Amino acid sequence: MSLLSLDHKAVARRYLWSGLGFLLLGGLLALAIRWQWAWPGRSVPGLAWALPESHGALTPPTYTAVFTMHGLVMIFFAVTPLLFGALGHFVLPLAIGARGLAFPRLSALGYWVYALGGVLMLASFAVRLGPASAGWTAYPPLSTSAFTPGLGQTLVTVAVLCAGTSAFTYGLNFVVTVARCRAPGMTWGRLPLTVWGLFFASVLNVVFVPVLAAATVLLLMDRLLGTQFFIAGAAAVGGGGDPVVYQHLFWLFGHPEVYILILPAWGMVGDLVAFFSRKPAHGYRLTAGAMGTVSALSGLVYAHHLFTSGMSPLLGRTFMVLTLLISLPAEVMFLNWLMTLWRGSVRLTSPMLAALATMVVFGLGGITGLALGAVATDVPLHGTLWVVGHFHLTMGAASFLGLFAGLYFWFPKMFGRALHEGLAKVHVLSSAVLFLGVFGGQLAAGYAGQLRRLYDPYQYTYLKHLLPLNQWTTVCAFLLGAAQVVFVVNLVWTLRRGRAAEANPWQVGTLEWTCASSPPGEGNFTQVPVVLRGPHALSQPEVLEQLGRDWIGQAEVLPGVAREGAGEEALATVSTVRSVT
Amino acid sequence: MSTSVEEKSQPSSDTPTSTSTSARTLALPEDASVDGHRIDALLGWSHRFEAGMAALALGWMVVAVWRFRGSKRAASDGGTKRSRAWVLGLALSTFLVVDGALLVGSEGYLRDVLWNLDVPAKDPRTVRIEINAHQWSWEARYAGEDGRFNTPDDVVTWNDLRVPAGVPVWVQLVSTDVVHGFSLPNFRVKLDAIPGRVNQTWFRAAREGAWEVACYQHCGTSHYRMRGELRALSAEAYAAWLREAGRQAVQAYDVDDSAAHWGWEWKAP
Repeated sequence: MSLLSLDHKAVARRYLWSGLGFLLLGGLLALAIRWQWAWPGRSVPGLAWALPESHGALTPPTYTAVFTMHGLVMIFFAVTPLLFGALGHFVLPLAIGARGLAFPRLSALGYWVYALGGVLMLASFAVRLGPASAGWTAYPPLSTSAFTPGLGQTLVTVAVLCAGTSAFTYGLNFVVTVARCRAPGMTWGRLPLTVWGLFFASVLNVVFVPVLAAATVLLLMDRLLGTQFFIAGAAAVGGGGDPVVYQHLFWLFGHPEVYILILPAWGMVGDLVAFFSRKPAHGYRLTAGAMGTVSALSGLVYAHHLFTSGMSPLLGRTFMVLTLLISLPAEVMFLNWLMTLWRGSVRLTSPMLAALATMVVFGLGGITGLALGAVATDVPLHGTLWVVGHFHLTMGAASFLGLFAGLYFWFPKMFGRALHEGLAKVHVLSSAVLFLGVFGGQLAAGYAGQLRRLYDPYQYTYLKHLLPLNQWTTVCAFLLGAAQVVFVVNLVWTLRRGRAAEANPWQVGTLEWTCASSPPGEGNFTQVPVVLRGPHALSQPEVLEQLGRDWIGQAEVLPGVAREGAGEEALATVSTVRSVT
Repeated sequence: MSTSVEEKSQPSSDTPTSTSTSARTLALPEDASVDGHRIDALLGWSHRFEAGMAALALGWMVVAVWRFRGSKRAASDGGTKRSRAWVLGLALSTFLVVDGALLVGSEGYLRDVLWNLDVPAKDPRTVRIEINAHQWSWEARYAGEDGRFNTPDDVVTWNDLRVPAGVPVWVQLVSTDVVHGFSLPNFRVKLDAIPGRVNQTWFRAAREGAWEVACYQHCGTSHYRMRGELRALSAEAYAAWLREAGRQAVQAYDVDDSAAHWGWEWKAP
């Protein structure tokens, strides 16, 4: 598979390696931030080569660049590309029985646009005045050239535009692929929940990434062409513009982005708890519907990020109600996961452990967001580490653990080799516990009033007593970083020496495991499967009786039932599809 | 507990002191405002709900995994009509209780305090302050004894807010350069300072003492040093300070220093 291959599996692999590289970079930047909060101004171990003048210690300008780049790298270059670029590209066509994505060239192009953005991100570290430093939200006027003059801020803004372009292309590609390229018999009601999650998130990408692009382009024009869309105050000449418009545009994208980052993980959790409870997902339609409802509401809640911006009371009240409303479908979904476990036969495999860990961190992250959705309780917590802990639990820890649930689950399919189960479990469990330590510590510090993005929080008398807490949190963060070595060892060892994976190691019925080889060849399937049933046909009595196993492929004909209506309908349609391909 | 101003005639000898021996890590900053306790109480309720929901969800998960791990048989259905109705019912009732309580509690505070500028507007004792945020300091303007802004007796301070305890303090806020965040952690006050617009809020200090002003929006390299002090004084001490500072301001007034005349006509709520 060359670098020019248009095959969705090859593109997925490119995203996987690039995404993991950026995940490492983003993680190291996070550790630098944590170090600063525990031992402010002290030399960061191993950073002296990069910061010779300060002997490796973060200075205030370096620190602002570090937290800005941490956010941007993680969101745009690590988590999204890993969930969509790697897992989405790989799984989606296989799971719906398609031979590839609807637009293979677009998907390859999307990767290269993302890669260009990645190069710009890395290059920005080398230019004078360093990379971007106006925060990942890049609020103007701070992010305009009057206040952040370096080339780095411009490069990074263009890089975000590249990542957005790539996200838009795969969003569009996934939507069209799911809508048009499903195998015969793969009705909407038979889609794995993973596909539902990816589909809704892709719709959000298509709708809201252009909003980010608009805001970013206007910001670039303010930086480079002398326009004043978002400039007001002393830096404005003549009339000027309005910085608040940028905030609205940014969060109109930014809040759906949170759901973009978590929806694929939700879908995977939904599938994995069913697979490893050996029973059909409880309330499949309710769960898919809940994900759809969250997606529909996601663009209508964003202004809770602006509760303290002086917005009109009418807007504030409206967004408070809408924000609280979104917790209802989330609860339905969560309860369905719990009900799926109940009366099942639970198997604690590494993907299942990761799925359960995702539920835990996502649950806590969701719960801690409630107080931020109501205006009054948001006031003391706004802009504190409580917010940081909350959203890192949901879109950081939950997305990360969801990603690894998917990676551990599909790795044998991607590479044909089986990862070491024991190491995988150690990695998942230690990561989950340490995530709770890190972000739990941040919630506590934020509750006590510690504000975000402070180079030295202890400038404030009222925060001085938080130093020991922050040191403990930092220790957890470094241990969390160290725990990732377990994954790297497992990955490298498996790719070199790992034993060949069995055909269907998890004993589930979805198409990628029952109709394609590991790894799947060109075109995925020797024959396009004809789908007969939903994704979670587990522990069905007639299957147990006739086949002696608790699973059956989505396209597997059960002897004696084949002549029933559903199967024949599907068989009738397959001939027309074949003649087209 | 904050040390109160011991020598009321000499507030300048006082230092901000939220560092109290009783400072607990897992607590909100000490509340020194008249109205903030309502937020704190609501947050207290919200934590009870959070704890309840977390215990329910995690407990259920642990019990389910414990009880059904490796079971010989698994149910073959994706739930019954009844079980799905239970899910919907449980979700809906949790939502109504938890989100309903937060909404109602929050709305009460918004109506009575946060968005009710009638209180400072109607109280004759109200102190009005215009605050201009800069990279990286808080410049505050008091109208002086004539009660009008942008006149020679305006008192202007840097990173040094003084207010009388017990009376409404009405703040109008702008920024000269970038977006800043004006927060008084001990008074449950947060409001963005945005170039090109005047935002406003109000609060009441419950008692005399000294606290901190903090910037909560990333505003550049020295964001972390954008720290001010707020002293709540007795009504007499405050009046004495304003009188003396106004007298000095009149003496130092420079008609030609247009940059110093950034005040504005007080805006209606």
